[in-house]
Amino acid sequence: MISAYIIPVLIIAILIYARVKKIETYNVFVKGAKGAFDLVLSIFPFIVTIMIMVALMRASGLMDIIISVLAPAFGVLGIPIEVSELVLLRPFTGSGSYAILNDIYETYGVDTYISRCASVIMGTSETIFYVAAVYFSQTSVKKLSYAIPLALVLSLFGTIVACLICKIL
Amino acid sequence: MICSVTALIFTEPGIILTEMTNASMDVLRLCAELLAIYTIWMGLLEIVDQTGLGNKLANLLKPLIRWLFKIDDPQTSKYIALNISSNMLGLGNASTPMGIKAMQRLDDGSGVITPAMIMLLIVNATSIQLLPTTVVGLRATAGSTSPSDIIFPTLIATIITCITGVFLTKLCQKIFNKKGAEK
Repeated sequence: MISAYIIPVLIIAILIYARVKKIETYNVFVKGAKGAFDLVLSIFPFIVTIMIMVALMRASGLMDIIISVLAPAFGVLGIPIEVSELVLLRPFTGSGSYAILNDIYETYGVDTYISRCASVIMGTSETIFYVAAVYFSQTSVKKLSYAIPLALVLSLFGTIVACLICKIL
Repeated sequence: MICSVTALIFTEPGIILTEMTNASMDVLRLCAELLAIYTIWMGLLEIVDQTGLGNKLANLLKPLIRWLFKIDDPQTSKYIALNISSNMLGLGNASTPMGIKAMQRLDDGSGVITPAMIMLLIVNATSIQLLPTTVVGLRATAGSTSPSDIIFPTLIATIITCITGVFLTKLCQKIFNKKGAEK
Protein backbone atom coordinates (compact mmCIF):
# COMPACT_ATOMS: atom_id res chain seq x y z
CA MET A 1 0.00 0.00 0.00
CA ILE A 2 1.56 3.24 -1.19
CA SER A 3 -0.88 5.47 0.66
CA ALA A 4 0.34 4.19 4.05
CA TYR A 5 3.79 5.66 3.32
CA ILE A 6 2.69 9.10 2.15
CA ILE A 7 2.32 10.75 5.55
CA PRO A 8 5.49 9.32 7.20
CA VAL A 9 7.54 10.22 4.11
CA LEU A 10 6.04 13.71 4.11
CA ILE A 11 6.92 14.24 7.77
CA ILE A 12 10.48 12.93 7.36
CA ALA A 13 10.97 15.10 4.28
CA ILE A 14 9.84 18.20 6.17
CA LEU A 15 12.14 17.45 9.13
CA ILE A 16 15.17 16.74 6.92
CA TYR A 17 14.55 19.88 4.91
CA ALA A 18 14.33 21.87 8.15
CA ARG A 19 17.67 20.37 9.27
CA VAL A 20 19.28 21.38 5.99
CA LYS A 21 17.94 24.90 6.45
CA LYS A 22 19.39 24.89 10.00
CA ILE A 23 16.12 25.45 11.83
CA GLU A 24 15.64 24.55 15.49
CA THR A 25 12.93 21.98 14.84
CA TYR A 26 12.07 21.44 18.50
CA ASN A 27 11.49 25.09 19.40
CA VAL A 28 9.62 25.86 16.20
CA PHE A 29 7.37 22.81 16.55
CA VAL A 30 6.44 23.78 20.11
CA LYS A 31 5.73 27.33 19.02
CA GLY A 32 3.30 26.20 16.33
CA ALA A 33 1.73 23.51 18.49
CA LYS A 34 0.86 26.07 21.17
CA GLY A 35 -1.79 27.56 18.92
CA ALA A 36 -3.73 24.29 18.71
CA PHE A 37 -5.23 24.56 22.19
CA ASP A 38 -6.71 28.02 21.67
CA LEU A 39 -8.00 26.99 18.26
CA VAL A 40 -9.85 23.91 19.50
CA LEU A 41 -11.21 25.84 22.48
CA SER A 42 -12.60 28.58 20.26
CA ILE A 43 -14.29 26.24 17.76
CA PHE A 44 -15.73 23.96 20.46
CA PRO A 45 -19.09 25.76 21.00
CA PHE A 46 -19.72 25.83 17.25
CA ILE A 47 -19.14 22.11 16.81
CA VAL A 48 -21.32 21.31 19.83
CA THR A 49 -24.24 23.31 18.43
CA ILE A 50 -24.05 21.63 15.03
CA MET A 51 -23.74 18.16 16.54
CA ILE A 52 -26.67 18.66 18.94
CA MET A 53 -28.78 19.66 15.96
CA VAL A 54 -27.80 16.53 14.04
CA ALA A 55 -28.36 14.28 17.06
CA LEU A 56 -31.86 15.70 17.61
CA MET A 57 -32.75 15.35 13.93
CA ARG A 58 -31.77 11.69 13.97
CA ALA A 59 -33.40 10.91 17.32
CA SER A 60 -36.67 12.58 16.40
CA GLY A 61 -36.99 10.60 13.19
CA LEU A 62 -37.01 13.81 11.15
CA MET A 63 -33.96 12.56 9.29
CA ASP A 64 -35.74 9.33 8.31
CA ILE A 65 -38.72 11.28 7.03
CA ILE A 66 -36.49 13.52 4.91
CA ILE A 67 -34.65 10.48 3.55
CA SER A 68 -37.85 8.64 2.64
CA VAL A 69 -39.19 11.73 0.85
CA LEU A 70 -36.01 12.41 -1.12
CA ALA A 71 -34.97 8.83 -1.96
CA PRO A 72 -37.28 8.46 -5.00
CA ALA A 73 -35.98 11.76 -6.39
CA PHE A 74 -32.45 10.37 -6.18
CA GLY A 75 -33.48 7.39 -8.29
CA VAL A 76 -34.41 9.77 -11.12
CA LEU A 77 -30.93 11.38 -10.93
CA GLY A 78 -29.21 8.00 -11.29
CA ILE A 79 -28.24 7.70 -7.64
CA PRO A 80 -28.92 4.21 -6.23
CA ILE A 81 -31.47 4.27 -3.41
CA GLU A 82 -29.13 2.14 -1.28
CA VAL A 83 -26.71 5.07 -0.90
CA SER A 84 -29.32 7.80 -0.33
CA GLU A 85 -28.90 7.78 3.45
CA LEU A 86 -25.18 8.31 3.01
CA VAL A 87 -25.74 11.18 0.57
CA LEU A 88 -28.17 12.93 2.92
CA LEU A 89 -26.17 12.52 6.12
CA ARG A 90 -22.78 13.33 4.62
CA PRO A 91 -23.13 17.17 4.78
CA PHE A 92 -23.78 16.96 8.54
CA THR A 93 -21.46 14.41 10.04
CA GLY A 94 -18.11 12.97 9.05
CA SER A 95 -17.92 10.15 11.57
CA GLY A 96 -21.59 9.27 11.04
CA SER A 97 -21.18 8.99 7.29
CA TYR A 98 -18.12 6.75 7.67
CA ALA A 99 -20.23 4.47 9.86
CA ILE A 100 -22.90 4.31 7.15
CA LEU A 101 -20.23 3.63 4.50
CA ASN A 102 -19.06 0.69 6.58
CA ASP A 103 -22.66 -0.56 6.85
CA ILE A 104 -22.97 -0.40 3.07
CA TYR A 105 -19.75 -2.43 2.68
CA GLU A 106 -21.08 -5.07 5.03
CA THR A 107 -24.56 -5.24 3.55
CA TYR A 108 -23.73 -5.24 -0.16
CA GLY A 109 -20.10 -6.48 -0.25
CA VAL A 110 -17.07 -4.19 -0.68
CA ASP A 111 -16.42 -4.76 -4.37
CA THR A 112 -19.97 -4.31 -5.67
CA TYR A 113 -21.16 -1.35 -7.72
CA ILE A 114 -23.11 0.07 -4.75
CA SER A 115 -20.05 0.04 -2.50
CA ARG A 116 -17.71 1.49 -5.13
CA CYS A 117 -20.30 4.19 -5.77
CA ALA A 118 -20.54 4.99 -2.06
CA SER A 119 -16.72 5.15 -1.78
CA VAL A 120 -16.41 7.67 -4.60
CA ILE A 121 -19.29 9.72 -3.18
CA MET A 122 -17.33 10.05 0.07
CA GLY A 123 -14.53 11.64 -1.95
CA THR A 124 -16.67 14.08 -3.92
CA SER A 125 -18.70 15.28 -0.95
CA GLU A 126 -17.77 17.09 2.22
CA THR A 127 -19.24 17.69 5.68
CA ILE A 128 -20.41 21.09 4.51
CA PHE A 129 -22.33 22.26 7.58
CA TYR A 130 -19.50 21.26 9.89
CA VAL A 131 -16.79 22.86 7.72
CA ALA A 132 -18.81 26.06 7.30
CA ALA A 133 -19.48 26.31 11.05
CA VAL A 134 -15.82 25.82 11.91
CA TYR A 135 -14.31 27.96 9.15
CA PHE A 136 -16.58 30.94 9.74
CA SER A 137 -16.54 30.64 13.56
CA GLN A 138 -13.54 32.96 13.86
CA THR A 139 -14.78 35.65 11.47
CA SER A 140 -17.23 38.53 11.72
CA VAL A 141 -19.53 37.03 9.07
CA LYS A 142 -23.13 36.54 10.22
CA LYS A 143 -24.90 35.54 7.01
CA LEU A 144 -23.40 33.07 4.57
CA SER A 145 -25.55 34.30 1.66
CA TYR A 146 -25.60 31.69 -1.14
CA ALA A 147 -22.51 29.80 0.07
CA ILE A 148 -24.30 26.82 1.68
CA PRO A 149 -26.96 26.22 -1.02
CA LEU A 150 -24.25 26.41 -3.67
CA ALA A 151 -22.06 23.94 -1.78
CA LEU A 152 -25.01 21.55 -1.39
CA VAL A 153 -25.93 21.74 -5.08
CA LEU A 154 -22.31 21.00 -5.99
CA SER A 155 -22.25 18.12 -3.56
CA LEU A 156 -25.32 16.63 -5.25
CA PHE A 157 -23.71 17.20 -8.64
CA GLY A 158 -20.58 15.44 -7.38
CA THR A 159 -22.71 12.49 -6.26
CA ILE A 160 -24.33 12.18 -9.69
CA VAL A 161 -20.90 12.35 -11.37
CA ALA A 162 -19.58 9.73 -8.96
CA CYS A 163 -22.40 7.31 -9.79
CA LEU A 164 -21.94 7.86 -13.53
CA ILE A 165 -18.18 7.28 -13.41
CA CYS A 166 -18.58 4.11 -11.38
CA LYS A 167 -21.00 2.81 -14.01
CA ILE A 168 -18.55 3.50 -16.86
CA LEU A 169 -15.33 2.31 -15.22
CA MET B 1 -33.82 22.18 15.79
CA ILE B 2 -37.21 23.44 16.93
CA CYS B 3 -38.92 20.94 14.61
CA SER B 4 -36.90 18.07 16.04
CA VAL B 5 -37.60 19.01 19.65
CA THR B 6 -41.33 19.42 18.97
CA ALA B 7 -41.44 16.05 17.26
CA LEU B 8 -39.69 14.46 20.23
CA ILE B 9 -42.11 15.98 22.75
CA PHE B 10 -44.86 13.92 21.12
CA THR B 11 -42.84 10.73 20.85
CA GLU B 12 -40.24 10.43 23.57
CA PRO B 13 -39.92 13.56 25.74
CA GLY B 14 -37.51 11.80 28.09
CA ILE B 15 -34.68 11.45 25.60
CA ILE B 16 -34.35 15.10 24.53
CA LEU B 17 -31.86 16.13 27.18
CA THR B 18 -30.09 12.76 27.08
CA GLU B 19 -29.58 13.10 23.33
CA MET B 20 -28.28 16.66 23.67
CA THR B 21 -25.88 15.72 26.44
CA ASN B 22 -24.68 12.67 24.52
CA ALA B 23 -23.99 14.77 21.45
CA SER B 24 -22.11 17.27 23.58
CA MET B 25 -20.04 14.50 25.15
CA ASP B 26 -19.24 13.12 21.70
CA VAL B 27 -17.99 16.52 20.66
CA LEU B 28 -15.82 16.71 23.76
CA ARG B 29 -14.23 13.42 22.71
CA LEU B 30 -13.92 14.67 19.13
CA CYS B 31 -12.27 17.88 20.33
CA ALA B 32 -9.74 15.94 22.37
CA GLU B 33 -8.88 14.03 19.20
CA LEU B 34 -8.78 17.23 17.18
CA LEU B 35 -6.53 18.86 19.77
CA ALA B 36 -4.06 16.01 19.45
CA ILE B 37 -4.15 16.07 15.65
CA TYR B 38 -4.01 19.88 15.36
CA THR B 39 -1.03 20.01 17.73
CA ILE B 40 0.94 17.68 15.47
CA TRP B 41 0.02 19.44 12.24
CA MET B 42 0.30 22.99 13.53
CA GLY B 43 3.74 22.15 14.90
CA LEU B 44 4.82 20.66 11.59
CA LEU B 45 3.27 23.51 9.63
CA GLU B 46 5.21 26.03 11.72
CA ILE B 47 8.37 24.22 10.64
CA VAL B 48 7.20 24.25 7.01
CA ASP B 49 6.57 27.96 7.43
CA GLN B 50 10.02 28.70 8.90
CA THR B 51 11.85 26.80 6.17
CA GLY B 52 10.21 28.96 3.57
CA LEU B 53 8.51 25.94 1.99
CA GLY B 54 5.13 27.55 2.62
CA ASN B 55 6.12 30.61 0.63
CA LYS B 56 7.47 28.45 -2.18
CA LEU B 57 4.21 26.56 -2.36
CA ALA B 58 2.25 29.81 -2.31
CA ASN B 59 4.40 31.16 -5.14
CA LEU B 60 3.82 28.01 -7.15
CA LEU B 61 0.05 28.32 -6.74
CA LYS B 62 0.08 32.13 -7.00
CA PRO B 63 -1.51 32.50 -10.46
CA LEU B 64 -4.27 30.07 -9.49
CA ILE B 65 -4.91 31.75 -6.12
CA ARG B 66 -4.92 35.21 -7.67
CA TRP B 67 -7.45 34.13 -10.28
CA LEU B 68 -9.68 32.33 -7.77
CA PHE B 69 -9.60 34.73 -4.84
CA LYS B 70 -8.49 38.05 -6.35
CA ILE B 71 -5.97 38.63 -3.57
CA ASP B 72 -2.28 39.47 -3.49
CA ASP B 73 -1.47 39.33 0.21
CA PRO B 74 1.40 36.80 0.52
CA GLN B 75 0.43 35.65 4.05
CA THR B 76 -3.15 34.84 3.06
CA SER B 77 -2.00 33.14 -0.14
CA LYS B 78 0.32 30.96 1.92
CA TYR B 79 -2.48 29.82 4.22
CA ILE B 80 -4.74 29.09 1.25
CA ALA B 81 -1.95 27.21 -0.56
CA LEU B 82 -1.31 25.03 2.49
CA ASN B 83 -5.04 24.52 3.02
CA ILE B 84 -5.65 23.38 -0.56
CA SER B 85 -2.60 21.13 -0.79
CA SER B 86 -3.23 19.31 2.49
CA ASN B 87 -6.84 18.82 1.44
CA MET B 88 -5.73 17.23 -1.83
CA LEU B 89 -3.62 14.72 0.09
CA GLY B 90 -6.67 13.71 2.12
CA LEU B 91 -5.32 15.35 5.27
CA GLY B 92 -8.58 17.08 6.13
CA ASN B 93 -7.54 17.62 9.74
CA ALA B 94 -4.29 19.33 8.77
CA SER B 95 -6.09 21.65 6.38
CA THR B 96 -8.68 22.89 8.87
CA PRO B 97 -6.38 25.14 11.00
CA MET B 98 -5.01 26.67 7.81
CA GLY B 99 -8.53 27.18 6.46
CA ILE B 100 -9.59 28.98 9.63
CA LYS B 101 -6.55 31.25 9.49
CA ALA B 102 -7.15 32.01 5.82
CA MET B 103 -10.80 32.83 6.53
CA GLN B 104 -9.76 35.21 9.32
CA ARG B 105 -7.43 37.02 6.95
CA LEU B 106 -10.05 37.22 4.20
CA ASP B 107 -12.51 38.73 6.69
CA ASP B 108 -12.83 42.51 6.34
CA GLY B 109 -14.63 42.87 9.68
CA SER B 110 -17.83 44.17 8.09
CA GLY B 111 -19.86 41.07 9.00
CA VAL B 112 -20.65 40.55 5.31
CA ILE B 113 -19.33 37.51 3.49
CA THR B 114 -16.85 38.31 0.72
CA PRO B 115 -16.66 36.52 -2.65
CA ALA B 116 -13.20 35.21 -1.74
CA MET B 117 -14.58 33.59 1.44
CA ILE B 118 -17.32 31.83 -0.54
CA MET B 119 -14.73 30.63 -3.03
CA LEU B 120 -12.58 29.22 -0.24
CA LEU B 121 -15.54 27.32 1.21
CA ILE B 122 -16.50 25.91 -2.21
CA VAL B 123 -12.93 24.90 -3.05
CA ASN B 124 -12.80 23.09 0.30
CA ALA B 125 -16.20 21.46 -0.19
CA THR B 126 -15.39 20.18 -3.69
CA SER B 127 -11.69 19.57 -3.07
CA ILE B 128 -9.80 17.40 -5.56
CA GLN B 129 -8.76 14.17 -3.86
CA LEU B 130 -5.43 12.75 -4.96
CA LEU B 131 -5.47 10.14 -2.21
CA PRO B 132 -8.71 9.30 -0.39
CA THR B 133 -6.68 7.71 2.43
CA THR B 134 -9.51 7.06 4.88
CA VAL B 135 -11.83 5.38 2.37
CA VAL B 136 -9.03 3.19 0.99
CA GLY B 137 -8.22 2.16 4.57
CA LEU B 138 -11.86 1.33 5.29
CA ARG B 139 -12.12 -0.76 2.12
CA ALA B 140 -9.00 -2.70 3.07
CA THR B 141 -10.44 -3.40 6.51
CA ALA B 142 -13.72 -4.55 4.99
CA GLY B 143 -11.82 -7.16 2.97
CA SER B 144 -11.82 -5.66 -0.52
CA THR B 145 -9.79 -7.51 -3.16
CA SER B 146 -8.34 -4.22 -4.43
CA PRO B 147 -8.99 -1.38 -1.97
CA SER B 148 -7.16 1.24 -4.05
CA ASP B 149 -9.49 0.56 -6.99
CA ILE B 150 -11.46 3.70 -6.18
CA ILE B 151 -8.55 6.17 -6.29
CA PHE B 152 -8.84 6.78 -10.03
CA PRO B 153 -12.66 7.19 -10.20
CA THR B 154 -12.51 9.47 -7.14
CA LEU B 155 -9.81 11.58 -8.77
CA ILE B 156 -11.83 12.05 -11.97
CA ALA B 157 -15.10 12.70 -10.14
CA THR B 158 -13.51 15.28 -7.82
CA ILE B 159 -11.72 17.05 -10.69
CA ILE B 160 -15.01 17.41 -12.56
CA THR B 161 -16.84 18.59 -9.42
CA CYS B 162 -14.11 21.02 -8.42
CA ILE B 163 -13.91 22.68 -11.84
CA THR B 164 -17.71 22.93 -12.04
CA GLY B 165 -17.72 24.35 -8.51
CA VAL B 166 -15.22 27.07 -9.33
CA PHE B 167 -17.09 28.14 -12.46
CA LEU B 168 -20.50 28.05 -10.77
CA THR B 169 -19.13 30.20 -7.93
CA LYS B 170 -17.69 32.68 -10.43
CA LEU B 171 -21.05 32.74 -12.19
CA CYS B 172 -22.94 33.31 -8.94
CA GLN B 173 -20.57 36.13 -8.05
CA LYS B 174 -21.29 37.83 -11.39
CA ILE B 175 -25.05 37.49 -10.95
CA PHE B 176 -25.00 38.79 -7.37
CA ASN B 177 -22.66 41.64 -8.32
CA LYS B 178 -25.14 42.80 -10.96
CA LYS B 179 -27.98 42.69 -8.46
CA GLY B 180 -25.91 44.73 -6.02
CA ALA B 181 -25.12 47.31 -8.69
CA GLU B 182 -28.78 47.73 -9.65
CA LYS B 183 -29.71 48.48 -6.07
